[in-house]
Amino acid sequence: MTATMKLKLNLGPQHPSTHGVLRLILELEGEKILSCEPDIGYLHRGMEKMAEKMSYIQYLPTVDRIDYLAGCFYSELLCRIVEQAFEVELPDKVRAIRVMLLELNRISSHLLWVGAFLMDLGAISPYFYAFREREMILRYFEKLTGQRMMYNYFVFGGVRKDIAYLEDVEEIISVLPDKINDYEKIITENPIFLKRTSGKGVLELDTAVNHAITGVNLRASGLNYDLRNIDYLYKGFDFGAVVLDGKDCWARYKARIMEMRESVNIIHQALEYLKSAPALEQKLINPLNLKLPEGDYYAEIEAPRGLASCFVRSLGDDRPYRLKWRTGSYYSVNLLRKLLVGEYLNDAIAIAGSLDIILPEVDK
Amino acid sequence: MNWNEFQRIFNDCELDGNKIIIKSNLRGVIGFVTANYTYNMLKEIIANDKGEGRTELIYHMYSTDDEEDLFISITVDGEVESIADIFESAKADENEIYDLFGVKFTGNENLKRLYMPEDWKGFPLRKDYVQDDTRLVWNDGNNEA
Repeated sequence: MTATMKLKLNLGPQHPSTHGVLRLILELEGEKILSCEPDIGYLHRGMEKMAEKMSYIQYLPTVDRIDYLAGCFYSELLCRIVEQAFEVELPDKVRAIRVMLLELNRISSHLLWVGAFLMDLGAISPYFYAFREREMILRYFEKLTGQRMMYNYFVFGGVRKDIAYLEDVEEIISVLPDKINDYEKIITENPIFLKRTSGKGVLELDTAVNHAITGVNLRASGLNYDLRNIDYLYKGFDFGAVVLDGKDCWARYKARIMEMRESVNIIHQALEYLKSAPALEQKLINPLNLKLPEGDYYAEIEAPRGLASCFVRSLGDDRPYRLKWRTGSYYSVNLLRKLLVGEYLNDAIAIAGSLDIILPEVDK
Repeated sequence: MNWNEFQRIFNDCELDGNKIIIKSNLRGVIGFVTANYTYNMLKEIIANDKGEGRTELIYHMYSTDDEEDLFISITVDGEVESIADIFESAKADENEIYDLFGVKFTGNENLKRLYMPEDWKGFPLRKDYVQDDTRLVWNDGNNEA
């Protein structure tokens, strides 16, 4: 056997860290990765094709499934498109409800990531801790919307029903900061974790921008690009930017932890407002026979895995002529082509995991 | 983005809101806006079927310095130059558009079937696409629809 023999290895088509089915075709020399080719499409459901055959209200419940860990963000996008078309301005209470649920959703998504990422690295316990807290959030969503993952709670022009069970949210945000402290105690400075993550998968800023990487991954590389700063939904909320300069897997982990704390801060403000807010008054758009005026519509939002956007071209029919989703994970998967080259095989799991890829979002 | 200056250099173009509609020379235009302005990110490429084999491609550019968006639209006849060497992210977008619309990007060697099986016929997001593949359960001949 020669020392320079190359080996082709199929990583996947399955791996828990990816929350879905991904296959990476790696070319190895020893343990070093020479090239990586992601193979996607195992979860393709034709979300864009489906839209062309359904009316807007028929399509609305399905969009939660684009990213089943953060469904609210995609419902919000589709609602935003319709609200934009009819120039509906949301009342303050609806804005506060939406912001609170979006941020709760963001925390539950990040919590799952923390657990799954650490499990990939061989640490089992954080998985159970993270799921314990995530369960609190899912229970709340179940109480409020009847669903644990696909909420279908946002509707065109508002929300399906008035907010309730605020004491549950209060409990969640009073418990969470301490629990996040606990994670940090066992994870952040853990020498094994540091060895596996710090200095691994370094993502330079210009590479990230050139690969259209957005969201936490971009902010952990040192650029403050957060759509929430200019989002009308978040107007009046006071929150800080989470920007780190580490560029490696550890920075991406730390950024997500810090972002959870920031989300708790936002939820706190929304909750204070909602506790004293009057009963819900909203003007919903009648979904029956809903026809968007002719034209192009575009909306974007800061989702947990980067920038998500929706483009709709309407010809004035009751269904879109063309609907396109942009999802953050799609670009993260393609970044692996570049990021894994030259790394060792055992780091590949850590690097792919640190990007927080979710496959239903990639395959659409 | 200075529209007047842009129009002087590329005369065959028009402005529609924040969308620039060009007829040709895509690589020239993209190269120009990246070199002379701060547009350094290609957020996405949106494809729309215009019928008769024509496809509109909208390049959504973004400047991280000026926090500005720019849309460049071009309508092509099934083939266009790739810009994957300027923006790495275009490689992924172009592959997706090839898979769903059948637009060929010359210069991008990575084009392959992405979501659809490798031997799939036709491009599903085209308006003239007929769903008659026997591998789809509702096309097995047992139901009339």
